[in-house]
Amino acid sequence: MTELWRYRELIGNLTAADLKNRYQNTVLGFLWSLLSPLLLALVLYLVFRYMFGQGPDFPAYLLVGLMAWRFFASGTTSSLNIIVGKSSLVTKVYLPRQILVLSNVLSVLISSLLEFIVTIPILFIVLGKLPMTTFLFPSIFLIYFWFVYGASLFLAAVYVYLRDLDQVWEVLVGALFFLSPVIYPLVQVTENTMPFYLLNPLTEFMIMYRDVMIYGKLPSLYSLVITVAASAAAFIVGNFTFNRLQRRFAEEI
Amino acid sequence: MAAITVDKVTKKFKIPHEKRTTLFKNLLGIIRRQLTYEELLALGEVSFEVERGESFGIIGRNGSGKSTLLKILARVLYPDSGTVVVKGRVAPFLELGVGFQLELSAQENVYLYASILGIGHKQVDKKYDEIFEFAELKKFENMKLKNFSSGMVLRLAFSTAVQVDPDVLLIDEVLAVGDEAFQKKCAVKIDEFKERGKTIIFVSHALDSVKKTCRRSLLLDQGRIIALDDTRKVIARYIEILEPK
Repeated sequence: MTELWRYRELIGNLTAADLKNRYQNTVLGFLWSLLSPLLLALVLYLVFRYMFGQGPDFPAYLLVGLMAWRFFASGTTSSLNIIVGKSSLVTKVYLPRQILVLSNVLSVLISSLLEFIVTIPILFIVLGKLPMTTFLFPSIFLIYFWFVYGASLFLAAVYVYLRDLDQVWEVLVGALFFLSPVIYPLVQVTENTMPFYLLNPLTEFMIMYRDVMIYGKLPSLYSLVITVAASAAAFIVGNFTFNRLQRRFAEEI
Repeated sequence: MAAITVDKVTKKFKIPHEKRTTLFKNLLGIIRRQLTYEELLALGEVSFEVERGESFGIIGRNGSGKSTLLKILARVLYPDSGTVVVKGRVAPFLELGVGFQLELSAQENVYLYASILGIGHKQVDKKYDEIFEFAELKKFENMKLKNFSSGMVLRLAFSTAVQVDPDVLLIDEVLAVGDEAFQKKCAVKIDEFKERGKTIIFVSHALDSVKKTCRRSLLLDQGRIIALDDTRKVIARYIEILEPK
């Protein structure tokens, strides 16, 4: 950790380079990256409004869920091949290699925060009001970040050795999308599967985001405990795996 | 005082008979009990010391373990056994322009590359004009790197890289690229580093420049040290093994 601090300038530069690369090359740049989740939300709304859309806040519910989902999905998916993709930074120069994953997750985090900021006025239009607690959403990211970072460390390290992990992960992410309450309300989950269902930490993250951004509630203690514990576990396992596997990265790439 | 101490370093590479890097193939291999691989000895019990301020050459045929040794010194590879102690900050020049991004401008790339090499933002600010003048690219600082010729990229990388202020420089063949004028510039810079008392590890096939730069050298063959002596004697021995009687 102290070593990472010495490299903070590099982490900043890599994060900035990543953001520039992501936005500069398309005509609408940043606008596109916002437009695509919003359009997806619209499509999902049109498709599912008769199935789940009884409540008046369904559009807001869907939007917040989708934005929260995107940080996990794009954070982990883009981190997966970061070590293999930036091979020259692994084989030609010494760096603490976590930096590559860290700067990638940071750049996705910044994109995600911007998406949330743009979502706020839309929530205002849809709900007709904004709860005061809305602006607490960055504090949830403080916990969520470690969860995504830990998962990313694990995936990026294992992918160096098992190159079809990307296919496996794509399927898993697709399954998790439906195993998390992104588009449907929690009441749709049957009672006997509920205990298993709640084991998915993403569920608690989504509950927290919706509590503060839609229902004007502070996150419950239960949600906080679950998400902090899950994030700590993800980070510890990810970091441990990464440190173990990184010794032979340069040979395996 | 020794700047670099290498003690009984051994490194083996595992080369699978079949390339098996997917989960699917691994499972298949376990089921068929075919997880076979050959071990290739890249370095076998290599030990030597380099004094502070010394320029030290490493020569040998292709595949003799030179680059592996340099990568271990650069901490990119880890040895299987043995220890390596390098005192002070290391600047590994295993390749010039590591981490350059084609979609970014020359200016952005200089700052990015500098931070990869451990040069701070403020120091680049100070040396900014010098870097671009030395690279002869002042007019192009805002151009994207993808529009540069390979020679321009190389000059930009080199001018940035020489701004490092390390205690130990590791140089691998990088100077074998570029035209005559570029190579001369490189030679001058290496002499400058030498005069400033930096420790230099120099890996090259260009025996003349090894002779000029390094007083002592090491000859590797099949991962083992064959000779470790005055550069002239080592080169003579190298030529012997190249042309067996």
